[in-house]
Amino acid sequence: MAEYIVKENALRAFFQALAQERRLLAPVRVGGKLQMAEARPEEVTLDYGNTHQSPKSAFFPQTERLMAFHKDTAQSDPFVYKPLGLDKITPTVLFGLRPCDAQGLAICDQVFQNDRFTDPYWKTKYESSIKIGLACDQPGPACFCTAVGGSPYGEAGLDALAAVKDAGLALKAITEAGAEFLKKLPGLESGAAESELAERRKAVESKMPGPLDQAKVAAGAILDIFNQPHWKDTADRCLNCGTCTFVCPTCHCFDIQDEQNDKGGVRMRNWDTCMSWLYTVHGTGHNPRPTKTERMRQRFLHKLKYIPLKQNGQSGCIGCGRCVTLCPVNIDIREVAKQMNG
Amino acid sequence: MHNPFLPYPVRIAMLRVETEDKNLRTFKFEFVNPGDEEKFAYMPGQFAELSVPGQGEIPIGIASSPTEKGSVMFTVNRVGQVSSYMHNMKEGDIMGLRGPLGHPYPLDTLEGKNIIIIAGGFAVTTLRSTIVWMLQPENRPKYGRITFVYGARTPGLLCFKDDWSEWQKRDDIDVHVTIDREAPGWSGKVGFVPAVTKEVCPPPENTAAIICGPPVMIKFTQPVLAEAGYSPDNIIMSLENRMKCGLGICGRCNVGPEYVCKDGPVFTLSQLNQLPREY
Ligand SMILES: Cc1cc2nc3c(=O)[nH]c(=O)nc-3n(C[C@H](O)[C@H](O)[C@H](O)COP(=O)(O)OP(=O)(O)OC[C@H]3O[C@@H](n4cnc5c(N)ncnc54)[C@H](O)[C@@H]3O)c2cc1C
Ligand code: SF4
Ligand code: SF4
Ligand code: FES
Repeated sequence: MAEYIVKENALRAFFQALAQERRLLAPVRVGGKLQMAEARPEEVTLDYGNTHQSPKSAFFPQTERLMAFHKDTAQSDPFVYKPLGLDKITPTVLFGLRPCDAQGLAICDQVFQNDRFTDPYWKTKYESSIKIGLACDQPGPACFCTAVGGSPYGEAGLDALAAVKDAGLALKAITEAGAEFLKKLPGLESGAAESELAERRKAVESKMPGPLDQAKVAAGAILDIFNQPHWKDTADRCLNCGTCTFVCPTCHCFDIQDEQNDKGGVRMRNWDTCMSWLYTVHGTGHNPRPTKTERMRQRFLHKLKYIPLKQNGQSGCIGCGRCVTLCPVNIDIREVAKQMNG
Repeated sequence: MHNPFLPYPVRIAMLRVETEDKNLRTFKFEFVNPGDEEKFAYMPGQFAELSVPGQGEIPIGIASSPTEKGSVMFTVNRVGQVSSYMHNMKEGDIMGLRGPLGHPYPLDTLEGKNIIIIAGGFAVTTLRSTIVWMLQPENRPKYGRITFVYGARTPGLLCFKDDWSEWQKRDDIDVHVTIDREAPGWSGKVGFVPAVTKEVCPPPENTAAIICGPPVMIKFTQPVLAEAGYSPDNIIMSLENRMKCGLGICGRCNVGPEYVCKDGPVFTLSQLNQLPREY
């Protein structure tokens, strides 16, 4: 695949070219926090650990209008929902996705495009986007991608991968779509990147945590892990605040709600959290997960047992460390994973 | 690209109050657009999201059989926001139907077997669909003996009276309709579903059971079947969990790694025995 070198003095032109071709999403400061957001070429930074929130909102916005209807009986199709947003997808390029997050989005992709159904709102955005990763040479203190099968130079879910080199970039294409996109990008100069990326990968991986042993979790029966005694102890601390689910790149749950006025209405979906009591309560009042212990257990079983079962052993936690850093009571998924494997 | 979130517009072609407490109403829907009925090709045991614009959606089992062309039927219990709103709608009103969703009962693998169908309360809906389908002349020869046990608290709470009183007249299905306690004007069976099941269930050899009903009924019927020698592979149930998407995407309805909406709602007892009881 094609390889390129972007020199420091060509960096601005590179981002300008990206922004000219497509809508550019890249790491920028928004309200004091680094986020993956629409960026002007001069704002893009290469100096960050990871974005505060996961980049999932690029394809799965926190609130998304799915369809709308009107109530005007003088017009055609009153009270009939018509889809919104599917006919005007803005071609987008994401620059600076961390490899862990790209892997996380690839896990979500298996859910939004599962064995039976395809979510068009996700697919149209996810598949039409070009995803350029930025490898990590200085992983953060809470990062543990290597513990869960990933790498700071991982390629899953990316169309191209870059690394910072002499304050510029070494860049290589990974997919056909990535190669095609970079080939057409004005001003990009070919140059050997591949071997440097491979060497650096080895160097940074050697400084990162080794694999988290999940052999017993993988081999164990669901019910045995479900019935382990440690859940209540961890859950005693959990506030069920849902922070972990909102920041996680592989948490994809949503609620669907209708809103209306006297002229018409919309149906939208909003991020939801399995930490909430309302999430599972039946209309009858019966709740299969009545206390926070069941709800917290669900989240960890989903990440560490159910997703691996459904996705060929792939861990549902990609080790971005966001929940570890942001949980107000310091619940650490690595500790829970060890208990589950104990 | 097919949009599985988008309901087909339907018209309420018929609605009737199903039970004396007026909590259950049966709706028949006709598709507004020609061609949508073919796209909504379903089998007994599947469900759909009933969509009321501006109110929301609810997952409801399909009560009609695919052999009953021209409309699709559902029976809706009044519970909360959407179901209560539906109880105030009129014939002719436009709403939406999204699906079919979930997997049907395994009618093909049940071929050649005797079948006992056990229903309690309004959970009888998808079992009505199943029986209507099985009794079709082209389907009936595929199955052995068919036994139907159906119970409710009072005679007035029994659904689909016209259907089961017709079935009682046939000799290719044994129908046992029961109520919990003696009631004036009731000459049929009296007793709880588990007790009636114990009395009438065929020997377990080459026989499968399909059970749908409230949790207490299921709790006390399972041991009866186990005692009679039914293996968990031959006990088939349909689960309910709170749902939104119905597509295995929104995450809400999971029981272990399975989504009740996409991978169920039909499971065998042996499958459920491996999963957390989070339903
Ligand atoms: C596969 C399946 C088949 C069903 N079949 C029938 C049937 O044939 N007849 C019938 O009357 N009821 C059936 N139910 C239950 C029915 O879906 C709920 O009673 C209904 O969703 C309550 O909605 P509501 O808006 O009136 O109540 P609210 O309490 O206001 O609920 C708000 C929302 O929560 C969700 N919700 C609440 N309770 C449930 C629940 N038990 N299951 C799923 N989602 C829920 C719905 O999205 C609903 O719109 C079935 C449920 C499932 C999962
Ligand atoms: S962030 Fe921590 S306290 Fe909040 S729900 Fe998650 S585990 Fe519980
Ligand atoms: S579970 Fe925590 S560490 Fe793992 S991917 Fe989600 S937010 Fe990141
Ligand atoms: S209802 Fe959304 S996953 Fe089952």
